[in-house]
Amino acid sequence: MKGVKAMYLKELSELDGVSGDEGRVRKFIEEKIKDKVDSLKVDIMGNLIALKKGTKSNRKFLLAAHMDEVGFMVTNIEDDGTLSFGPVGGIDPRVAVGKHVRIKGELAGVIGYKAIHLQRKDELLASPKFENLRINIGAKSKEEASRKVEIGDYVTFATDFRCENARATGKAFDDRAGCAALMEILEKGQRYEDDLCFAFLVQEETGLRGSAVLFEQLCPDLALVIEGTTAGDDPGLPEHQWATHLGDGPAITFMHRGYVVNKKIYESILQVARKYDIRHQPKRRTAGGTDAARLAKTGGGVPAGVISIPARYIHSPLSMIDLADFNNTVLLLSKILEEGEGFAK
Amino acid sequence: MIDLIKELTESYGPSGREEEVQRIVLKYLEGYIDGHKLDPMGNLLVWKEGRDDKKVLLDAHIDEIGLVVTNIDDKGFLRVEPVGGVSPYTYVGHRVKFPKATGVVYYEGETPDEQKKNLSNLSFDLLFVDIGARDSREAETLVPIGTFGVYDSYFYKNGNYLTSKSMDDRVGCAVLVEVFRNLNDPKHTVIGSFSVQEEIGLVGAFVSAYSFSPQACVAVDVTDSADHPKGFKRHAMALGKGPAIKIKDKMSISHRRVVEMLEQAAQKANVPYQKEVLTFGGTNAAALQRTKEGIPSATLSIPTRYVHSPSETVSLNDVEGAVKLLLSFAKLELEF
Amino acid sequence: MDTVSLLKCLSGADSPSGYEDEVLKVVEENIKPYVDLVKKHKMNTLIAAKRGQNGKKLGIFAHADEIGFVVAKLEERGFARLEPIGGVDPKVVLSQRIKIFTNQGIATGVVGFLPPHLQKEDQKDKVPDYNDIYVDVSCSPLCEAVSVGDICVIEGRCASLGDKLSGKALDNRASCAALILAARELETIKNRSDVYFIFSSQEEIAGPGAVYVAYELGLDGAIVVDVTHGNEHVPQMPQIKISEGPALAVGPVVNREFYKALCDVAKRHGVRTQIEPTPGRSHTDTDEVQITRSGIKTALVSIPLMYMHTPVELVDPRDVEETARLLSLASTVDL
Repeated sequence: MKGVKAMYLKELSELDGVSGDEGRVRKFIEEKIKDKVDSLKVDIMGNLIALKKGTKSNRKFLLAAHMDEVGFMVTNIEDDGTLSFGPVGGIDPRVAVGKHVRIKGELAGVIGYKAIHLQRKDELLASPKFENLRINIGAKSKEEASRKVEIGDYVTFATDFRCENARATGKAFDDRAGCAALMEILEKGQRYEDDLCFAFLVQEETGLRGSAVLFEQLCPDLALVIEGTTAGDDPGLPEHQWATHLGDGPAITFMHRGYVVNKKIYESILQVARKYDIRHQPKRRTAGGTDAARLAKTGGGVPAGVISIPARYIHSPLSMIDLADFNNTVLLLSKILEEGEGFAK
Repeated sequence: MIDLIKELTESYGPSGREEEVQRIVLKYLEGYIDGHKLDPMGNLLVWKEGRDDKKVLLDAHIDEIGLVVTNIDDKGFLRVEPVGGVSPYTYVGHRVKFPKATGVVYYEGETPDEQKKNLSNLSFDLLFVDIGARDSREAETLVPIGTFGVYDSYFYKNGNYLTSKSMDDRVGCAVLVEVFRNLNDPKHTVIGSFSVQEEIGLVGAFVSAYSFSPQACVAVDVTDSADHPKGFKRHAMALGKGPAIKIKDKMSISHRRVVEMLEQAAQKANVPYQKEVLTFGGTNAAALQRTKEGIPSATLSIPTRYVHSPSETVSLNDVEGAVKLLLSFAKLELEF
Repeated sequence: MDTVSLLKCLSGADSPSGYEDEVLKVVEENIKPYVDLVKKHKMNTLIAAKRGQNGKKLGIFAHADEIGFVVAKLEERGFARLEPIGGVDPKVVLSQRIKIFTNQGIATGVVGFLPPHLQKEDQKDKVPDYNDIYVDVSCSPLCEAVSVGDICVIEGRCASLGDKLSGKALDNRASCAALILAARELETIKNRSDVYFIFSSQEEIAGPGAVYVAYELGLDGAIVVDVTHGNEHVPQMPQIKISEGPALAVGPVVNREFYKALCDVAKRHGVRTQIEPTPGRSHTDTDEVQITRSGIKTALVSIPLMYMHTPVELVDPRDVEETARLLSLASTVDL
């Protein structure tokens, strides 16, 4: 672990960028990487695409991470001034209860819940549903609320980032951790043999949508998707049902929903990890999907590998990653790129 | 053709790891095609040039359903997850074949009551695989996490009925191979797409037609045959009535003009056929039709009993009929 | 043709997904006088184009297919089993007349229902599914011609209810009508962009009908016109009402600037609009069109409709007209 300090993880975690509203995250990344790449553009969907020419230029290698996080959208302004909302991406309503939120990146609100004292027995045992939850911004009436909020405004959890005991806690590590990892690679300022495309994608959480328009623009020969993936290594599940384990290094996927990873790419990733003695683990559950499944099916097809930073409690307001896993992911990625044309040849 | 079907169905080719089947297909096609290539996703594409510049693409998927190893416990027992639409019930007490080992699949149950309860509500979390390893180290050497396995089953013939694992869709592959081996001086270029990863989401077929832009596509796959005790009551398909021209399944509707052409081809070659409406499932036609600005597509199906079990059963008569029909189809003028 | 007649004419065409020929003929006849070019696409869609001034291309999509059935199996003594094409609630199929398109003509059968007198106790509250339903074709002279694979629709008719109209397939013929009326409006409004009116296929089975055309045309903007639930209570959502104008969707599958531009142009010209919050996918052609090729700026405009996917769908023809007006004004927006 040489001097890599997850430098942008805090800002990236705290920025608001629900699927469809990734502008703030994109602006931040653009500002930081613009002097480290040969060209930058924003496409019609809102993806940020950065290119770095290679020394041999025989292959186009795509590195992708998504900028969007799961969150909510305001769907109605009620007569009493509270806001109805719906999930953007997969969120369990149970994690929304009793939380601070931010609307449009700036307006504070809370999602309350009926006091325990006042709940009947059946209410105590009933699981919260979105249709029973409201955001309160302190407005007394529909009219007052309408002056500050519009239907269609996006809402995020207002979780602050903390880093203690070599573990980071905060929101949106799925997939700001992936974005941070790609930014670290760019910080190194190295040039590699292959032409590289760094794609910071939109709308992954709502159906792998940003990645659907990449083939047409880039025609990559191969890709690596860097994700923040589920761990499941908490007391709720027996060990053989964990997907990944925090501290065991980047998780290498061989199969997930809708896609079996190209054999050559999968084995090459393992080869590099073993060659440099980088701690790593296989991803042990095939549930969940990434943009790799979309890349396999667009245009002429792009074979992709998937490397993930294990994260506990993803799709909730508060998730956790191990910084050593993050640093080892950056290291693995860096060594893969250094292999040049030999990687997955 | 029987040897071809036997060799194809008994080979190892779970979704994502189809190399062995590709080798067998190429072996049988040697000398009968003008060229072949692998596309970026690993689909095997072969072709025979025609006299004009129109193209028709015939597709069959070379992958089969199976299992993948996700965990190895400290005693060397394996945990697995399904690859494609596999039911845990079809594996209990049977064997799974990995490249370097064969294992027995069984389920948990610490008491007879718990066994009964688990069996009536079986999920892959309750299964484990026993490859007879002494410890986890030995298991990891033979079957590391991420290794794929298939049914350990074999081919046999009962008169006209052929039974084996992975008739879905090796019988379709056999039909395609047989078509190319008998294709003489075709009017249009005929492309054979032996596509990958169909069982987990039609993956390969989304891209296999991309570099060719054919005028029409026909996927050859299996369909349910309901002619056994209390088979699906809304399925009209049966063994021995000929290949089935699919009208609709849950993922696509066959293009009406291509259906008409398939019917025409059958009538011209005197091949009896049936019409198929499948109330679940889908084939690669659903993906092939979505290539670029669209390709009129349809499916020609081989009726099959016990689909997705280790003992899928077809009628040789239907298989041979499919070959004749497609050879006749390749002679028709494409209107698109 | 006035709006109600146009709607009745479009509703009367029987064209389930994959078999859109009949309705596309009706569309072509009605839109031809107002456009420069009409062309049929090999995947069963119709494109009617009107040239503009600035070379930009606006696509306005309405799917022309409707829900229906296909004969799955024939039972003895003249009964047929059905498989639905699209989301047809089996509950609305009971006691309907079904038109079956055989190769010798239309055979009309009836979907039977066991009378209360003969029902057993456990049948009394049972909800039917397609494994229970059958069509009795013994009453048709073409009974013998019915075969597996024949396409069917519920026999529908239109009824004027006050100033509203009820009939089959108003999902999405109401939108098709709006497109035709918009083409007529363009005789007076000068469209800046080239406008492509696209009548697409297979939406009811989530097929890629609209995408085929979006792929080919290289559009600068796309508006998808479909129907949405009117006068229903959907929790957390503002109620969209019949007779109050088209609803504009807002959310990740809609381009925010395009949406705002449409709201603006509507406001300036007194076209009433309602809002349809769409936090996830819209389940219309918008979703796929947005991510075609390198991406297209999309908007979704919906006509309020009651009793969706029944043979008695209900719309207000004035909503159709107001939608047409909005679409013709959209052609003046900068893309």
